[in-house]
Amino acid sequence: MLKPARTFRGGYRFKNFNGQARPVIVENHMPVLVTIPLKQGFGAELKSLVKKGDAVFAGQIIARDDNVVSSPIHSSVNGVVEEVRRMNYFKRQTAMVIIRTNNASREILRIEGCSLDWARLSNEKIEELIYLSGVSSLDREGIPTRFKSSIIPPEEVKHLIVHGVGSEPYNISLDLLLKDKNLLNFLEGVKILKRIMPNSKVHLSLNAKKRSIIEQVAKLTSQLEWLDTYPLEPKYPQGYDEILVPTILNQNFPYGYSAANIGVVILNIQAVLGVYEAVCNGKPFIERVIAICGPSIKDNIHVKVRVGTPLKDILAERIKIEMPVRVVMNSLLTGFQLNDISLPVDRTFSHIVAIPEKKEREFLSFMRPGKTRDSYTRAFLAGILPWIKRAPDTNKHGEERPCISCGFCERACPVKIIPHLLAKHVQRNLIDETIMNYGIFNCIECGLCSYVCPSKISLMKIIKEGQDKLTMQGCDSTQCILPYFNLKGIEEYRGVTKL
Amino acid sequence: MRFIKNTLDKVKIIAGNNKYLKTFKPVLNAMDEFFFGTDKVTTLPHIVDNMDIKRLMSLVIIALLPVTIASIYFWGLRVLLVIMVSYAFGGLIEVCFAVFRKKEIHEGFLVTGLIFPLILPPGVPLWVVAVGVMFGVMFGKEVFGGTGRNIFNPAIVGRVFLTIAFPKIMTMNWQMPFNKGLGGFIHFQNTVDAVTTATPLVLFKNQGIVTSYSNLMFGQSAGCIGETFRVGIIAGGLFLIVMRIVDWRLPLAYLATVFVFPYLSNHLIHTQFALGGFQLFSGGLLLGAFFMATDPVTSPFTKPGRWISGALLGILTLLIRNLSGYMEGVMFSILLINAFTPLIDTAVLKARYKKGRPR
Repeated sequence: MLKPARTFRGGYRFKNFNGQARPVIVENHMPVLVTIPLKQGFGAELKSLVKKGDAVFAGQIIARDDNVVSSPIHSSVNGVVEEVRRMNYFKRQTAMVIIRTNNASREILRIEGCSLDWARLSNEKIEELIYLSGVSSLDREGIPTRFKSSIIPPEEVKHLIVHGVGSEPYNISLDLLLKDKNLLNFLEGVKILKRIMPNSKVHLSLNAKKRSIIEQVAKLTSQLEWLDTYPLEPKYPQGYDEILVPTILNQNFPYGYSAANIGVVILNIQAVLGVYEAVCNGKPFIERVIAICGPSIKDNIHVKVRVGTPLKDILAERIKIEMPVRVVMNSLLTGFQLNDISLPVDRTFSHIVAIPEKKEREFLSFMRPGKTRDSYTRAFLAGILPWIKRAPDTNKHGEERPCISCGFCERACPVKIIPHLLAKHVQRNLIDETIMNYGIFNCIECGLCSYVCPSKISLMKIIKEGQDKLTMQGCDSTQCILPYFNLKGIEEYRGVTKL
Repeated sequence: MRFIKNTLDKVKIIAGNNKYLKTFKPVLNAMDEFFFGTDKVTTLPHIVDNMDIKRLMSLVIIALLPVTIASIYFWGLRVLLVIMVSYAFGGLIEVCFAVFRKKEIHEGFLVTGLIFPLILPPGVPLWVVAVGVMFGVMFGKEVFGGTGRNIFNPAIVGRVFLTIAFPKIMTMNWQMPFNKGLGGFIHFQNTVDAVTTATPLVLFKNQGIVTSYSNLMFGQSAGCIGETFRVGIIAGGLFLIVMRIVDWRLPLAYLATVFVFPYLSNHLIHTQFALGGFQLFSGGLLLGAFFMATDPVTSPFTKPGRWISGALLGILTLLIRNLSGYMEGVMFSILLINAFTPLIDTAVLKARYKKGRPR
């Protein structure tokens, strides 16, 4: 059923940034050398099943452990294992399997037992297919199956939220993901998920601005009484689990834990499409669609790449080299900076954003009309000319100044805490129960307070610092959460590090 | 641009080598930042808003421009001199403190330096302006630790000091504004045909005369330099609200209280309380409500706090205006409520974050 549009209080809508990826998809050439991290997405790090010199084929499982919360990892090319070693991958020492390609064919070995007529398959078989394909490791807490791919078993899932809101400055194109037949495949995927999580209610949340897609979905799903469709305003950070749960389910979120702890599974559209591919076509999840966005890219498109492809294979020819560039993974507000372009792509990549690193100074910068400048206030020309594309860069656009309590951070905060108040307490070293009471552990680190601050104070960093100090003093986020929630799977959750 | 850069660089080298000039580094740095912006880059988040304090303050100044230009027309070119004196002496204090503390110069003063002359009577002697602004910046802001830490609005502190210290100068210098031709744009001061008169509030209190709305709105009444051209003040205030620089709650609560409250009181003592409409457009109420009560540093940051403080301001203003010997109800009430701001915020926070409640 189509529900009325919803939104939440606070947040900020990033409108019309320059360099949005066009809805075009290009297949990247096959990599010569792939580096496959043995921890991808949700789950513990696995031990390699292959060793140096082994021949592997695309789609072969090279790591699997059914006893810990994890999902199998595959080789993404046909080739020979060159090395298994530990490398620094996003601030974490991770074991990597390095494979040299010896056969550039794009063929992928299908998993046995898949069927286009999935309704005939048993639940166990479907779950096995999802697990073996590796799709079950996607998103914040994975897809629950009977193989310990998530922290709760599938029967305990009460709500399944599938979201394609696209609230970041740069988003993967919804039009592309749900083009033509993909839309039907996507809905099949949703049905498959409903089948393995029989006690769940499914909530589809889509970008309210994409009317045609919402209409199509509403038409196709009008018969399904277990499925609701919600158009959501694409306001950052609507795509966060912590915000989706209150907006859609009108339920408090156990900040600091995962949605799975309250019986909610949240997936994005690529994961659901992956489920369909795994169950109906037996395809292991070794390809990923990545949106290449930002003004420092020559042509903004989507590319389909094999997991493990080094970034330089993707970016080398696509990036503008005239000026310094900063490359960021997934989100401009919270994503990792990709300094080392020899690092590989894994299952969790969805965007690569390249924006100019602007170190040069600008004459009378604050007096410019600002036709392309994005701002929370309406104080720039861009505020009244919404059709002109905004050009982001990494300059700070001003000096750090003392807080003047302008209240922008409070107005923008999606979880209703008062960032400048917390920051003042932390900076004055007044770290005690008061700030815990003010909700310091509710912070979801979306970075919006640091974004809007006109005094250029790194509020998010200070709040995080405060959380650490508070934890050292023995106050813990558990004190704010555990008395009020009946959480499931906490023991398992402890075992898996937070993403 | 290149010229300014070269000059600045040269002066910096000279200052860097001289033992005594070195202390003035904050001034040079402030100029450098003013002209050339920053070269710092972000860490996380990778992009930040283009808004900064400089632009925020310049927008407040832009919002004050219509009023400032109109005041030159009404009171003569001497207004410019008053503004310059205010900037010069206020700036002096600011620089002294920055040098003394070895900290940067902050932009907050740009607004104080312009608002302060606007709330003085047109005939105010220049030395009084200098004394007032120096007192205001020093005791209203710097003694508390500078921008962002002050409890009271510095312009109001200066003005209250002057009112109490020099009551004669501050209450007797009312003139009638120019209203013909180019008016004040070609005159230095309204001396020749100066008519000393009383402000609309005094006229009402002493003689029961109610000035007409059109005269009040378009500046044809006696009053402080910047408070009489009320159309301009309203336009500037709305501009700031639309730009999202000022929160609409506090001015709305303030003005609504001032509008509604007199209707109740008018029934009881109609000789003391003029009707709401007149109260709204007389005295410094609009200037105070839009530009001074909303100063983010000295007003509550919580939303309920803004409603509360707006309502309190309104009631206090009316009581002081109509029942006390002073006419400066807006000024005194803002000063008093500024002192209550931390209390209001704390009370609101206490109510919001009661213990043992999940959020």
